[in-house]
Amino acid sequence: MRCVHCLGGNVRYRVNHPQVINETIDGEAIMINLVTGSYYSLDSVGGEVWGLVEQSLSVDDIVTELGRRYEASEDVIRSAVENLLGQLSHEQLVAHDETRSSALSAPAGPPAAVLLPFRAPTLEKFTDMQDLILLDPVHEVDTRGWPHVPDGRAGN
Amino acid sequence: MGAPATEMPSTRAVYPGVQQLGAAYSDATTLGSTDARCVRIGGHVIELRFAGPGLVPCVMPAFSHLTVSPRQEPELVVDIWDSASTGASPPPTPDVDPESPVGAFYFFEDPPIRGVFQPGMQALSVVDLGSDHAWYFVEEPAVLPYWERAAPIRQILHWWMATRGHQQVHSGAVGLPDGGVLLVGKGGSGKSTSALVSLTSELRYAGDDYAMVSLAPQPMVHSLYSSGKVHPDNLARLSHLVSALSNAEQLSTEKGVVFVDQHFPDRMIKGFPLRAIVLPTITGKPHTRVVATSRTAALAALAPSTVFQLHTAGAEALQYMARLVREVPAYVLELGADVSDVPGVLLQLLEDLRSARR
Repeated sequence: MRCVHCLGGNVRYRVNHPQVINETIDGEAIMINLVTGSYYSLDSVGGEVWGLVEQSLSVDDIVTELGRRYEASEDVIRSAVENLLGQLSHEQLVAHDETRSSALSAPAGPPAAVLLPFRAPTLEKFTDMQDLILLDPVHEVDTRGWPHVPDGRAGN
Repeated sequence: MGAPATEMPSTRAVYPGVQQLGAAYSDATTLGSTDARCVRIGGHVIELRFAGPGLVPCVMPAFSHLTVSPRQEPELVVDIWDSASTGASPPPTPDVDPESPVGAFYFFEDPPIRGVFQPGMQALSVVDLGSDHAWYFVEEPAVLPYWERAAPIRQILHWWMATRGHQQVHSGAVGLPDGGVLLVGKGGSGKSTSALVSLTSELRYAGDDYAMVSLAPQPMVHSLYSSGKVHPDNLARLSHLVSALSNAEQLSTEKGVVFVDQHFPDRMIKGFPLRAIVLPTITGKPHTRVVATSRTAALAALAPSTVFQLHTAGAEALQYMARLVREVPAYVLELGADVSDVPGVLLQLLEDLRSARR
């Protein structure tokens, strides 16, 4: 796993499309890794982090943004965010985004009128679909093209 | 290991066009008898044209409840043939790894054409979404597995119906004319049992494994197949199906397949408004009940199994299912030891939802 802490707070992540597809519903996120067959859910805080990753915010900006919404110290939030991003990266759901300028920053905003209690985000992993990938593997036809007449078989 | 190709970086293959398939089907029509049937799915008429008799009994039983007059103008034509009953040479197919697992799935896309080749059953499905024409070829119908006979031309319907605003989902579906439910979850969750036990009640049956859904003007469920599959171990609890099995001799290696329309014709329904998404869960508790659950749980039960069952479903399908889940409430169906109380619980749920709409 690539160490989030070692990359610094200006690092940005991107969702690992097209290998990963995702939707957020009622604040919670569902992610499907089409290659591994695993799928995942994130609770509401995790869904917020996911949404901020989708907006290409840096780790620093994600921490700052959550600090505007939740009642917790920056250290607590940073630790939870870095831990989650490490898990997401390990599961190949996000990847380090080296294309984004580090000059980008989150729009500044005032803290929420009422800060919510902070709970470290939870990533749940489900592997019960992996058998389908193993039993029914999907291949793309190779560059020789299709239709391709197998040797010894008369085509039309 | 491959992956659903619609969402993956694509290696474009050279595709010489559909003429070879058209010519192959045309040749087959000169060698064997021909037949044409029309079915209506979700309001769309599809003509199934057969060359040779081999695939008619493999394809039509699953669609018998959707058959309409062949005089109607079809929106999609599917040419269906085989080598065994016509003597026709097979059309060209991809050169595949001979060590491929039996379920291997070779995908091709060259818009507006999409195709899959399944070497395990020597089945080729191709659709030209530009001309609304499709081809389904099987070398030897006798080798078609029971699950393919229960849900024929599924990939073609998945791709083509999407162009008409529909989404195929991995789901059972039961209800009444004024509303019903999708039964969602991975294999073994109890959705087939919940759907098939409903045949003993006033609930009507729209499928146990696959259904088509649409969003506008309101969420609707459209029946795809009249088939139902039951694990042999479950036949004791679904004894009304024993005499209706189409493959009773093969239960040592296959799930039992029932074509509901043949044996319970008044229980089939072509579709209904969607009122709820229901997640059957085996609990071991004595009684069955429904408990409200989150939309996230409903999407997690519906989407991954649909995406991986359909192989080439991707981000658009997930987005569609999320929209569907946002439209209706979701419940866990805690299955009790005696499944005979499932229909009553579902009917009560529909009545409660009906009352809430008044």
